[in-house]
Amino acid sequence: MLAIKNAKVITITNGVLERGTVLIENGKIKAVGTDIEIPGDAQVIDAEGKYVMPGLIDAHTAIGLKEGGMRWEGDDHVENTDPVLPHLRAVDGFNPEDVALQDAIEAGVTTCGVMPGDANVLGGIGFAVKTSGSVVDKMVVAEVGLKGALGEQAKRMTGGKRMPATRMGTAAVLRQSLLKAKSYAKKLEKAKENPDKEPDRDLKMEALVKVLNKELPLFVHAHRADDIMTAIRIAREFDVKLVLVHAYEAYKVTRYLKEYDVPVIYGPNFSARWQVETRNLREDTPAVLAQEGIKMAITTSHPSKPVMLLTFCAGLAVRDGLCREEALRAITLNAAEIMGLADRLGSIEPGKDADLIVLDGDPLHLMTQVEKTIVNGEIVYSSCC
Amino acid sequence: MLAIVGGKVYTITQGIIEDGTILVENGKIKAIGEDLDVPADAQVIDAQGKFITPGIIDAHAHVEIWEEGIGWEGMDVNEHTNPITPQVRAIDAINPEGLGMRDAVKGGITCIWNAPGSGNVIGGHGVTMKTYGKVIDEMIMLEPSGIKAALGENPKGYGRRGKMPATRMGSAALMRETLLKAKKYLAKIEKANGDEDKMPDPDLGMEALVKVLRKEIPLRVHCHRHDDIMTAIRIAEEFDINISIEHATEGHKVVEELAKRNIPIVVGPSLTTRSKPELRDRTLKTPGICAQAGIKVSIMTDHPIMQVRDLHLAAALAVKYGLSEADGLKAITINPAELCGVGDRVGSLEPGKDADIVIWTHHPFDIMTKVEKTIVNGEIAYSRCCDNENCCR
Repeated sequence: MLAIKNAKVITITNGVLERGTVLIENGKIKAVGTDIEIPGDAQVIDAEGKYVMPGLIDAHTAIGLKEGGMRWEGDDHVENTDPVLPHLRAVDGFNPEDVALQDAIEAGVTTCGVMPGDANVLGGIGFAVKTSGSVVDKMVVAEVGLKGALGEQAKRMTGGKRMPATRMGTAAVLRQSLLKAKSYAKKLEKAKENPDKEPDRDLKMEALVKVLNKELPLFVHAHRADDIMTAIRIAREFDVKLVLVHAYEAYKVTRYLKEYDVPVIYGPNFSARWQVETRNLREDTPAVLAQEGIKMAITTSHPSKPVMLLTFCAGLAVRDGLCREEALRAITLNAAEIMGLADRLGSIEPGKDADLIVLDGDPLHLMTQVEKTIVNGEIVYSSCC
Repeated sequence: MLAIVGGKVYTITQGIIEDGTILVENGKIKAIGEDLDVPADAQVIDAQGKFITPGIIDAHAHVEIWEEGIGWEGMDVNEHTNPITPQVRAIDAINPEGLGMRDAVKGGITCIWNAPGSGNVIGGHGVTMKTYGKVIDEMIMLEPSGIKAALGENPKGYGRRGKMPATRMGSAALMRETLLKAKKYLAKIEKANGDEDKMPDPDLGMEALVKVLRKEIPLRVHCHRHDDIMTAIRIAEEFDINISIEHATEGHKVVEELAKRNIPIVVGPSLTTRSKPELRDRTLKTPGICAQAGIKVSIMTDHPIMQVRDLHLAAALAVKYGLSEADGLKAITINPAELCGVGDRVGSLEPGKDADIVIWTHHPFDIMTKVEKTIVNGEIAYSRCCDNENCCR
């Protein structure tokens, strides 16, 4: 058993405990509170003067897929040979030895959403991964969404050699794929009564059926407000769950995000405006989204910005008007909820995974250092030794 | 006359004044101190509780040469038709109206060394310029104030198009050949001794490199890996020229070599990932390690690789990883001013210098800080009127 005592505990869901204790057993949080008895045999971390909070979560990265310190050799992010590849699985391209994973651990990021494709209309299934480990199969938390893309990258990927070359084309390709999957799903349904009618297995269709069944949301890369509205239009036509990624112009369409209950994985919130569609990047968008009651996670979109700067991104959002509590939620619980993992991750509550970090100061303060990172109850990083 | 009254003033060269006053007249700093009389007719800016620094200087950027928010139409950073282009000038491609330039002013960046990219072995003329103005010609402080050069992975890109350089050896050879040619050009000029008939045929590129050979301006060499840094040093010694090492990602591996030769380095951009092999050993400790050894360290954004307005935060991160606070401030003020040939005009708050002044809500190394006012040449170039970030644009 591991016990962290005397810490300022930011639970996320139950406020901040002054001089709190967290008990950890079998990789899970056993108890959290201010008057918890620590068993005599427990390994004790005295966190006097320190902060403890849940391990940070970045819901949208290409960590392990687009590796640091390499060019094409370590780039397995976008399979740019076909716009419709929903059956790709990010887990098959993930290298646990990406140097950025160590950065993540040292910066207190314990879970990342790993998403393939930024350019394919349908780019494959992304998963959540714990950042500590040596074999991906042991690090996987769950599949979390099917990645899609609208806007400039999607229409440029094929270089005009085939559809899509326009935003109309991108939408048509997405609709056609979902429609095809719908009839595949119908055949599957019929086959339940008559196994002879079972359609041939089709990996692409099977992936899309998960979206139609709402087992997985569609994570759609979109920047411009019109692309966001296209994503909403198509999601409603097919009654699928939608998560928006990047969404720089979300501030223009908050009314619709609210009305259709669409969460946003926003970011990176500091960046050059590389493309025409990113021209309207505004620093106050996280504050606006929170104010309008839209569920928002903040992402570095690693490697767009390094994953080690996740709290930095949250700090900038606070500088630009987001309240501190929302900023901390946006890199913990909200990210977990958007990935459907809030039962396991994102806050310090009994029963949840013991993913915790110990910091020497306020997490949003630039000079604050992570002193310890704990994943599944194991201390995987210690700054001092 | 403008008077900035109150506030904690970081002069950079003359220490910190807890409750200072700065008088500004005719675009210059007239006086600075604790108990200055403020003339009755002066426009007074109350800076009580604020932090005041000189205008921030980005020692290496491509602001609006590589324009933001538009595609290839605004991409003018690498004249990638020839690996040797000393004749091209950044000033001919800078759009002073662009988003990045406005952001620079808003972020307290008043001066930048704006230069061509690293695609070419010799990239062209860099300019030291103010960020506030309508036309580039009025914003120039010194041009050329350095010639951009590059070693390592980027210039090798020519190899893929069947052109030299395809290797690090090729890049070094081209750099040597070009400097040799310039040396001959210079010899002819000297031999002509004013006789126009004996002068060499005018060559814009050679004229720029003559300034390097005469040590009027430095060759500013893009190098990430330490072996590339050593190649730059080797060539600089062969031709007896002044260089700076731009990026210096592995500068911490050759600290003694840089320190004993007094070679300045410009480190960064730091808020980015290790997107290529030559960045693999990047560490945020480099500025601290190098400054400790006495190397003059500047910090760059390399805008748009990192946004120009975030330069103070890049310096803050260097401080987080071991650079002293004082050296962190120098790295974005006086050090780049000196490297860029304008140390007598900007980079510190001293009487007689340009009135380029930033008023901050918090210490510039606090992530919560915002620029209240940016003053360039004594003129208020940006003023945050309220908390609505977009109101003041």
